[in-house]
Amino acid sequence: MSDPKAGAKTYTYYPGCSSQASAIHLDKSLRAVAPKLGIALEEIEDWNCCGASVGHVEGGALPQTALSGRNLAKARQQGSHDVLTACAACYLNTHGVNEKIKQDVRTRARVNQALGAADLKYDGDLNVRHACEVLVNDVGLERIKGQVVNPLKGLKVAGYVGCQTVRPFAATQSGGEYDTYDQPEFLDNFAEACGAEAVAYDPKTSCCGGSVSVHSPDKTLHLIKQIVEAAVEAGADVIATPCPLCQQNVEMYQDAINKKFGTSFNLPVVFYSQLMAVAFGMDAKADAALDANMIAPVKLVELAKKAAG
Amino acid sequence: MSAAPAQAQAKKPGVYLCGGCGIAQATPLDALEKVASKEYKVAHCRKHDFLCGEAGVKLIRDDIAAGTVNQPVIAACSSRVNADRFRFDGAQVIRANLREQVAWTQEPGSEDAAMAAADYLRMALTEARKSSPPVAYDIAPYSERVLVVGGGISGLTAAREAAEAGYQVLLVEREAKLGGQSLAWSKRMPHLPPYREPRANDIEALVKAVESHPAIEVRRECRVVKTSGGPGKFAVELSQGGAAREEAIGAIVVATGWRPYDPNKLGHLGYGATPDVVTGVALEGMLAKGPLVRPSDGRAAKLVAFVQCAGSRDPAHLPYCSSVCCGVSIKQALQIRQSDPDSSVYIVYDELRTPGTAEEFYRAAQEAGVVFVKGKVKGVGADLTVTYDDALLGQSVPMQGLDLVVLATGMVPNATELGDSGEAAPLPPADINPLSPIPVAGYAAEAPAAQAAAPAAAATQGASLLNLQYRQGPHLPILADGFADSHFICFPYETRRSGIYACGPLRRPMDMAESAEDATGAALKAIQAIRNVVEGRGLHPRSGDLSFPKIGLTTCTKCRRCTVECPFGAIDENEQGQPVVNPSRCRRCGTCMGACPVRTISFDNYSVEMLTSMIKAVEIPDEDAEKPRVLVLACQNDAVPALDMAGIARSRLNPYVRIVPVRCLGSVSLVCVSEALSSGYDGIVLMGCKSGDDYQCHFVKGSAMAQERLQKVGETLKSMALEKERVRPMEVSIADAARLPKLLDDYLAEIDKIGPSPLKGFG
Amino acid sequence: MSAAPAAASAASAGRRQYDLGFARWVYQHVEGGDKVAMCMQCGMCSGSCPIGTAMDHGPRKLFMMIRAGMKEAVLTSNTIWNCTQCYNCVVRCPRKVPVTAILQSLATVAVKEGYAPTQSTPKFSKAFWLSVARFGRTDERLVTALYYFSHGLKEGIRRALENLPIALRMIKAGRMHLGLPHRAKGAADLRAILAKAEDIERAERAGGKPS
Repeated sequence: MSDPKAGAKTYTYYPGCSSQASAIHLDKSLRAVAPKLGIALEEIEDWNCCGASVGHVEGGALPQTALSGRNLAKARQQGSHDVLTACAACYLNTHGVNEKIKQDVRTRARVNQALGAADLKYDGDLNVRHACEVLVNDVGLERIKGQVVNPLKGLKVAGYVGCQTVRPFAATQSGGEYDTYDQPEFLDNFAEACGAEAVAYDPKTSCCGGSVSVHSPDKTLHLIKQIVEAAVEAGADVIATPCPLCQQNVEMYQDAINKKFGTSFNLPVVFYSQLMAVAFGMDAKADAALDANMIAPVKLVELAKKAAG
Repeated sequence: MSAAPAQAQAKKPGVYLCGGCGIAQATPLDALEKVASKEYKVAHCRKHDFLCGEAGVKLIRDDIAAGTVNQPVIAACSSRVNADRFRFDGAQVIRANLREQVAWTQEPGSEDAAMAAADYLRMALTEARKSSPPVAYDIAPYSERVLVVGGGISGLTAAREAAEAGYQVLLVEREAKLGGQSLAWSKRMPHLPPYREPRANDIEALVKAVESHPAIEVRRECRVVKTSGGPGKFAVELSQGGAAREEAIGAIVVATGWRPYDPNKLGHLGYGATPDVVTGVALEGMLAKGPLVRPSDGRAAKLVAFVQCAGSRDPAHLPYCSSVCCGVSIKQALQIRQSDPDSSVYIVYDELRTPGTAEEFYRAAQEAGVVFVKGKVKGVGADLTVTYDDALLGQSVPMQGLDLVVLATGMVPNATELGDSGEAAPLPPADINPLSPIPVAGYAAEAPAAQAAAPAAAATQGASLLNLQYRQGPHLPILADGFADSHFICFPYETRRSGIYACGPLRRPMDMAESAEDATGAALKAIQAIRNVVEGRGLHPRSGDLSFPKIGLTTCTKCRRCTVECPFGAIDENEQGQPVVNPSRCRRCGTCMGACPVRTISFDNYSVEMLTSMIKAVEIPDEDAEKPRVLVLACQNDAVPALDMAGIARSRLNPYVRIVPVRCLGSVSLVCVSEALSSGYDGIVLMGCKSGDDYQCHFVKGSAMAQERLQKVGETLKSMALEKERVRPMEVSIADAARLPKLLDDYLAEIDKIGPSPLKGFG
Repeated sequence: MSAAPAAASAASAGRRQYDLGFARWVYQHVEGGDKVAMCMQCGMCSGSCPIGTAMDHGPRKLFMMIRAGMKEAVLTSNTIWNCTQCYNCVVRCPRKVPVTAILQSLATVAVKEGYAPTQSTPKFSKAFWLSVARFGRTDERLVTALYYFSHGLKEGIRRALENLPIALRMIKAGRMHLGLPHRAKGAADLRAILAKAEDIERAERAGGKPS
C-alpha cells in the first residue's frame, strides 16, 4: 500500500518450493516489482508443496489433491483475497484443485474429510490466479509501461511461454481468458512494454519436457534443443519465460545439448519479472536477481549497470 | 387453356430499352433503337432508365392494354431475374440480356460492348419473329388421385400428407398389415431433441391415422400389375385376391422400402453356426420381449458385442453404407445398458457413421459406458469369439467370453417385386441406366423396338414393381446399387418417369425420421405433378412451361430417333410407325427436336428454325476487322446461370462471344452447328451439363445425346474443310462461374492460333 | 477404486492378453476413466504430443488398447510415464477427454498394482513424495539424491558425478543451498492430512466406506 493513489490490491501469495531454490530469481524479482505495479503480496503462512507433476504417482490422487487443499485452507484463513502464484506447476495444481473443489461435490467432501485430520476446512470460495494473468487483467500493459525508467533498448527477447502457464486454463473463464493456448501474446507484450524487442519466435508454447527432462533428459534433450535453436536463429539475446521448470530445463541442459548435438549454445534464460525489475531501474542483484542465472544474461546486466551508473 | 390460340393474332412487337444498372453507360441506347426501327422495322420502341420500377412496368402494361403491343421485347437484365415483374397476361415476353452479358461483363462505352448489345437485341427480335406464345395441351379428363405403393413408414406418411393436402389417396400394401418393417421395432432412434434416448415406436398411431382417414383408401394384400399412361392419366391395374381392377391415377409415390441383407451369406461372421449370433433386426424382436436372453439356452445375455458393417461396405456383399446401422446399434446398446446396468456392450466398428443428430446419440451411448472398439471384424467363431484387426494396434484381437453377438446388417432396396417367398430378388435388368446408355438410332446402332407390353400375370420374383408400359422397360430406373433414384442432390424423388416419385429407403438408405420427411417431399412432388398436368404445364425442371413438342407428320420419315432419344419415354410410335407425343410425360427439354434429322419437331416458342435464325442474326465482322465471333450455345439449367453469375461478379467476358441460351444441349440440332459454321462464326462452344455416370444433366440424357451427336460433327467439319477445334464441347456446372471467363478466353486464343474461319462472308 | 479385474480365468493359466472387462473397469474405477469412453479415436492427441517418439504408444492407441482389453500392455507401457504434461492434447481434444489426467491416474494404478518396477518416474516420484510428506516442501538435493540412489549405489554415484557440474553451478548461482532441508512448520499436520487422504483412498479401493 505504498502508493494509495495507485490503488494497490492485495493477493495471497503462494511462492511454491522452487521459490526457495531453483527459481529464487523469479520469487525475488516478482516481490521486487509487485509494489510498483500495485500488487501487495501476503504469503500463505506455512504453505506446503503442491505435488508438482509427479506427486500423484507415489502419493495417489487424493493425497496429491489434499496438498493443494491444505494450502487453500490456510489461504482462506488469511482472508478472501485472490491467491496468486507465479509457478506454472503450482498454478496448474492449485487452480485445478480449487476448481474441482468448487464444482465437484464429492471431491470437496473427500478433501475436507482429509483436511479434518488437521482441523482445517475449505469450501472453494477463493480464486487462484497466475501472476501473468493478474498482470494482464488487473495491472495492464499501460501501468507496466508507466514504471519503465530504463527501457531495455536493443535487447532482443525470445518469449518462451511453455505449456502450463497457458494450458489448460488460459482461455477458460476461471483462468481469466487472458490469452490463447497456441499463440499467446502476453509475454511478448511484457517484453515490449519494458522497451525490449520481442523477436518472432515459433516454439512459444513448445514443451521443454517438464519433469521428464528432470529425471530422463535423454528422452527430451531434442525438445530443448529446438527451443534454444529457434531463439538463436531469431537473433535473440535472451530467452524470457514465466515458468520455473522451463527456465531451469532450458538453461541447465544447454551444455548437455552441446555435448550431444555438437552445438555451442550459451543463451541466457531469464524470467519476465527480471526484465521488469531492470526496466524499472531496480538493482541488478537485490531486485532483479540476475546473479541467480547460471548463464549470465550479459546484455541485461549491462543495461542494469547503465541505469545504476 | 381455353383462350383462342394467340398465333391467330397478328404479332405486334414492341421494344423496351432499359438504361438502368449501367446499361446506358455501357452502350448507346440510340444505336439500339436504330437496330429495332431500321433493321427490324419495329416502330414501337421505348427507352426507360428504370424499366423494372413501377413506372417502367406501367409503360409496358399500358401499351399491352391499349393493344399496341403483344410481344414486348425487353432489352434489360437476364431473363432469370425480374420474371415476375415482366409477366403480362396475353403477351409473349421476349428478353434480351443487356445487363449480365453486356453492361456488367464488357468494357463500358467500348465498340465491342455496343456491338454485343446490338447483336443481343437482334437475337431477341429474331426470336420474336420466329416464335409465338405457347398454347397448352389439353387431354382432359384427368385423375387427381395419388397412388401410394407400400404401407411402411414412408408410404403411410406419403398417404397421410397427400390426404391432408386435400387429395384422394389409394394406398396399396402387399402384406396383410400396414406398418412395414417398423412394426417389429422395440423402440425407435431419437428423432426429437435432445436426441439422446431411444424413443417409443409410434408406428401404430400412424397406421391408425391412415386407416381412419376419409380421403385414404387402403388395399392390403394387393399388388400393382401394370401401369400405363402418364401423369394425370395413369391407368394402374391392381391385383387383389386374384381379381384385377384398373384405377385412374394422377401421380404415383413408390414407397416399397427395404429388406435386411440376407444374413445367410454371412457365414464368416458366425451366422448359422450358433443361434447366439443374431441380426440387428432379430434383436429388435428379442428386446421387445423383455430381458435379453441367449436364444440357445435362455441364459441372460450380459456381454453383448455388435459387429458393424456386417456385409456392408464390402465388395463381396453390399458395397455401400446403409447409414442407419450405426445409429440402430447405438440405440440397441443403450437399451441393453438401460435394462441391465450390469451388462457390458461392445460396438466393434471400422468407421462409426453418425450423421446429424446421431452424433449426440453416439455421445450419449459413450457416456452410458458402451465400449466402442475400433476394428475390422475378421470373423466370429461358433464359440462367439469376435476377432478383429485394428491398423493401429497392428494385431488381431479376439474378444472372448461373449454371451451374444449382433450383426448390424445393411438395407437392400425393394426396387423389384419380391415375389411370394420374400427372398432377395436380383437387381432389375439394365435399361436407361446411364451406366449402360441405350444405343442411339442412326448414330450408334438401330433403334430398339418399342417395349412390348409385359405379361399382366401375377408378379413374380424380380418382376417390376409397377410394370411400366414405357419403351425403356418395365422397371423403375436405378442410379446405383439398386436404389431407385435419378440424382440425390439436384432432383430428389425424381425417377426419370414423369409423375412417379420414389421415396424412403427405396431411394437411398434412411431411418424412420428421414423416411417420413422424404415421403412428405415425394407426396408434395406428386401433388405438384398433378397440378401442373391439369393446367397443361411442364414438370420439373421446366415446371410451368406451357409449350410442348409438335411433330409435323407430313415430313416425318419415321426414323424413330425422337422416340428413342426422349429421356422420359414421352414419345411412342403408333401402328403406322409415326411418333405420338404423350404430353403429360414430356419435360420439354427438346431432345426430340435436337434429334430430328428433318427438323419437323418444334415447340410454339422454340424451334430449330428459331435457333438458326437467331444464330444468323448476329453480325459477323469481316476478317479485316480482326473481331472473331464465337457462338456459345449455353444450357439454361447451369451454363446460363453460371454466365449470369460471372456478370454479377463483374468479371470481363470475352467480347467476341455471343451467347444463345438453349433448353438443353440435347435440343441442339446438328443443323444449328453447321448453319453457324457456314455463317462465318470462327468457333462454336456447346456449353452444357456433365454427362456420364455422375451426370448433372437436368434431363438425364440430354447432354449425353449432345455428346453422341457431336461425334458426327467431325464429318461435317471435314466436309466443310474446317479444323476440328472450331466446335468445342464444354461441361460446366453452376459452380464454374469464376472460371468461365478464362475458359472462353483460352478457347478464343486457340481460335486465334488457327486463324479466322475461311467461310466468313459466304453466309 | 476396486481392484482391477483379476486376469486369471479357471481355464487359462498365467495372464490373459485380452481382458474383455478391462475397458469397463477403467471407465468405472480409474479417476477420470469415464472420459476414456468419450474418445472417438481421431488421433488429435497423438498428433499433438511433443514426445510421441519416446512413447511406446500414443494416447489414441493407448485408449484403443484399453478398449481391446490389453491391460498388461497398457499398464506396462512407458506412455503413462513419459507424458510431459504439456496439455496440448487436453486443450485440442474434440471430445474434451482429459488425457493428461487419465495418464496420471493410470500411472498411479500401475504403481499400486506393481506394473512399474523399472520406470524412472515412479522412482523419482517416490523420492519427491518422501520429501514432501516428510518436510512439507520439496528439497531438490534430497529428491535428487534419493532418486539417483534408487537405481542402486553404483548408478547413484555415477549419476551424481555426471550431474555434479550442474549442481555446482546451481550452488554458485545461489539456487541450491547447503543448509538443512526447507520445511513447512506445520509438516506434522500435513502428514496427518496425507495419512487421512491415503486412508480414504484405501478404504474406497477395498469397497468399504472410509472411517
